[in-house]
Amino acid sequence: MNEKISESIVRVDAHTKIGGQTKYVGDMKFDGMLYAKTVRSLHPRAKILSIDIPDIPDGYFIVDKNDVPGKNRVKILIYDQPFFAEGAVNYIGEPILLVVGPDRDIISQIISQIDIEYEPLPAVLTIEDALLENSPRIYGQDNCFVSHEYIKGEPDDAFANADKIIDGEYRTGYQEQLYIEPQGVIGIYENHRMTIYGSMQCPYYAHRAIAEGLGWSEDKVRVIQTTTGGAFGGKEEYPSLLSGQVAFASLKTKKPVKLVFDRDEDIQTTTKRHPSVIHHRTALDSNGTIIAADIDIKFDAGAYAGLSDVVLQRGMFCASGVYNIPNLRVRGRAVATNTVPNGAFRGFGAPQAFFAMDMQIEKIARIIGINSLDFRLKHALKKGDRTCTDGLLRHDVKIPEMMSRIEELSDIRDKIKKFKSQTGRIRKGIGLSMFYHGCGFTGNGEEIIHGTATLRKYPDSKVEILTSNVEMGQGALTAMRKIVAKSLEIPIEDVIYENPDTSRVPDSGPTVASRTTVIVGGLLKSAADELKQRWNEPGEIEVSKTYHHPKYIEWNQETMHGDAYPTYSWGINVVEVEVDTLTYEITPKKVWAIFDVGVPIDERMMRGQIEGGIVQGLGYGSIEVMENIGGKIQQGTITDYTIPTAKDVPEIVSEMLDNPYEYGPFGAKCSGELTLIGAAPALAAAVENALEIEINKIPVRPEELLEKMEL
Amino acid sequence: MVNSYRPKYLNEALKIRGEKNVIPLAGGTDLMVRFRNISGAIPKFDKPVLFIGHLDELKNIEIENNFVKIGSSTTLTSLLDSENIPSILKSAISNMAAPTIRNIGTIGGNICNASPAGDTLPPLYILDAKIVLSSIDNQRIIPIDKFIIGPGRNDLKDDELLTKILIPNKKFNKEFYKKLGTRKAMALSKISFAGLAEIEDDKIEDIRIAFGAVAPKIVRSRTIEQEIIGHNINEINELSYSIVKEYSEFICPIDDQRSSSIYRKQISIKLLDYFLNNLDNI
Ligand SMILES: Cc1cc2nc3c(=O)[nH]c(=O)nc-3n(C[C@H](O)[C@H](O)[C@H](O)COP(=O)(O)OP(=O)(O)OC[C@H]3O[C@@H](n4cnc5c(N)ncnc54)[C@H](O)[C@@H]3O)c2cc1C
Repeated sequence: MNEKISESIVRVDAHTKIGGQTKYVGDMKFDGMLYAKTVRSLHPRAKILSIDIPDIPDGYFIVDKNDVPGKNRVKILIYDQPFFAEGAVNYIGEPILLVVGPDRDIISQIISQIDIEYEPLPAVLTIEDALLENSPRIYGQDNCFVSHEYIKGEPDDAFANADKIIDGEYRTGYQEQLYIEPQGVIGIYENHRMTIYGSMQCPYYAHRAIAEGLGWSEDKVRVIQTTTGGAFGGKEEYPSLLSGQVAFASLKTKKPVKLVFDRDEDIQTTTKRHPSVIHHRTALDSNGTIIAADIDIKFDAGAYAGLSDVVLQRGMFCASGVYNIPNLRVRGRAVATNTVPNGAFRGFGAPQAFFAMDMQIEKIARIIGINSLDFRLKHALKKGDRTCTDGLLRHDVKIPEMMSRIEELSDIRDKIKKFKSQTGRIRKGIGLSMFYHGCGFTGNGEEIIHGTATLRKYPDSKVEILTSNVEMGQGALTAMRKIVAKSLEIPIEDVIYENPDTSRVPDSGPTVASRTTVIVGGLLKSAADELKQRWNEPGEIEVSKTYHHPKYIEWNQETMHGDAYPTYSWGINVVEVEVDTLTYEITPKKVWAIFDVGVPIDERMMRGQIEGGIVQGLGYGSIEVMENIGGKIQQGTITDYTIPTAKDVPEIVSEMLDNPYEYGPFGAKCSGELTLIGAAPALAAAVENALEIEINKIPVRPEELLEKMEL
Repeated sequence: MVNSYRPKYLNEALKIRGEKNVIPLAGGTDLMVRFRNISGAIPKFDKPVLFIGHLDELKNIEIENNFVKIGSSTTLTSLLDSENIPSILKSAISNMAAPTIRNIGTIGGNICNASPAGDTLPPLYILDAKIVLSSIDNQRIIPIDKFIIGPGRNDLKDDELLTKILIPNKKFNKEFYKKLGTRKAMALSKISFAGLAEIEDDKIEDIRIAFGAVAPKIVRSRTIEQEIIGHNINEINELSYSIVKEYSEFICPIDDQRSSSIYRKQISIKLLDYFLNNLDNI
């Protein structure tokens, strides 16, 4: 490989995936394999009084809490979620037991005869309910899984001296990952060992959760990732629950047990993006400069804590957007409700925070009567500024260049003016969003994990990549191979990279947080550099590298002060829409996007991330409606939860800016999540421009536009 | 064990239909969803299936005695490809599902499914479509609005199949169709509106209006249409207030996972108003 790293190659998995040859967990069969189907709670909060099981035929089994030999809690951040309900349920869809057997029709029949008697308890169903004085306590003293606060500067003084204070409240809805391949795992018990095959992002998360559930030492467990048909965060922590369940089922039945979700079941019962309510209070001086902000973030965590603490933290560390606000108070709460637990989803708390900040910026600019583009630029962060957590921006921040380029491409400055005061049936609008994504784990996460990656050179000069990071559609198998091949100057065909198997690979950390290329790819780069020096040593050579933050990083988790991330990737998006005032349908017409991701490891794969992220963001901002009424997901089928189709996708013009990061492989920074963040706020701003109204909620639905405009 | 039947000829199909308690399956795009089973297991039909989607006798489109005759198993794609299909029906079909589903889903299936959100229905209502119901020794022809008796309910007898759809060959010089789904393809209707009119020298010679997905059945009122017919289009502006009011009584949508009753009602009225007030320029 002698070309520039960014030069695109054909993805190594393209042909087999497009050709339909790739095997997914749903395609896998083992001798004597049984199927499992989950019986779930019908109540948002209830005691289970009794479970009446019919006589079941030979070869069929019930697997429940009594079959968990170790701890009946899924290891995530805290141990609150049971593998199987223990006498009580806390959300509709909570797993109570599995019915396991060879014939799925008979399993269905058995399930239809199981009778569960509940005693419903008062449930807490919304953020607002949860925080009422007299609402039922479902978690701790205050129904919050966690509450955090951080302060930068002297916000109280600044507010006391403010010339103007502007408030705004913003809401975001659920978003469902809707990966094409539903959740699926297979558990195989053999000779006192447990092997799990599964569609997942984090084999070692599942590995540890299974070991604790079984009460076994970790070396008796093996987790093998199966080719994963999309994940978007939905297969970060969630497969740990399922892996445990099939492990217990296989232990009980002594047969391989497969659990693959139905689509509806997947939509209704797996983790989603946290709905949020974010309150902004912004203080301005007499020059119209922001001098302080007080931001209160509430995320609906659902019934169990899951990853909400860290999702919330990332949201909090994006709270003031790309703007330099000297005095800041940010409060965050992950609120417990009797609804399906929410979890990881591309962006991980950032999309909610950036939406709120961007809308608040638009609102302030409107109120003080200044062009919002200028207002944004005036406050934009630059190298040497302090981040919201008082970290130092050590690397170039190219917002001014990105801004002038996107203005040139999209003509937004003129269009904003031109689109004011339209009168016809179809109204055009244009909006902009500016955002960043912190690369890698939040705070000291990378320092806790210390991910390790290994390269092994075989005598035939082939080199194998050994990491726990997975391909889930994003291109990891190709990107990592490129990094290694390019560093070693060997053909990419000589680099082996199999789906991770925890019996063979070190723990390089999970495939999340846009960390794979920048962090683990970085480890592989330095391993390759060392291997190159030792290339001619005889026999097999193995080189391992373990991650440590660059020395400059200072982070205090207690006070949440310092560098929340080693570096940042940046983006600006512009969305142009048409709104039909006859029906209030919104049609995105064109999107312009500029990204600084350091140096892309493969330009076409990066464009894939950009276009996919933007489309997912447009969906989040407009048509992906998911409501929870009475604890029940209303859009619980693929018919009713509508993500964009090819016909909903506008033309997307994108560019990337070179801005190499010294600690990233070939200068790469993070890129996977960044691309989702800006489309929704830019779309909302475009609708504001088209109709001259204020938008403070996504998804922006025609139903609500009608109300705002006519009722 | 569930049997299935795949007859070679229509006669054979009608015979099976007369003798056995079977579910007719044309394209299966409604049925396969309705009877879906748990992941990986085959659909669970509660009765034997009678396949009719392959029967050539049910797949042709002919012009006869001022009628377009459409075989019930004609796929939505074939209708789009045919020159003889009224354009308002094509507008509706081109907004249904996506090409893959349209390649296999049929017009007979859409009608028999009798969903208030069935997209071929509003055009078929205003085209005065009739349907032919055949059994082994009988045949009846009834207007489509008599066939559909409620949401998901039709007047099909146990021994009958819908075999043909008859559309009078009448031309209109004004037409307006609008479907609102939650996205631009692969979406069920929140509302659909179909309007046809024949205007000569600014006089409304004929007008027909139907609404989908805003009531248990498709809404069409011949009474109100009669009140409009004969007027000059310049008089519509004055009339439209009372017309809208009359239609409002029939438009009684629900709140559901796809939209709100308020939105459905208001937008239906706006679409009606738009159609009436733009008869000269659509
Ligand atoms: C992804 C997807 C998207 C869809 N989008 C739309 C849409 O946008 N708009 C819309 O209106 N529909 C939509 N549908 C529904 C469906 O595709 C249509 O209703 C289609 O026209 C049904 O035709 P079919 O031949 O597949 O019906 P089938 O499933 O074969 O049958 C439907 C019903 O009609 C009965 N039946 C069929 N033919 C006859 C006959 N000749 N005589 C008697 N009974 C008969 C069957 O017994 C059954 O009850 C969608 C479906 C899917 C899966």
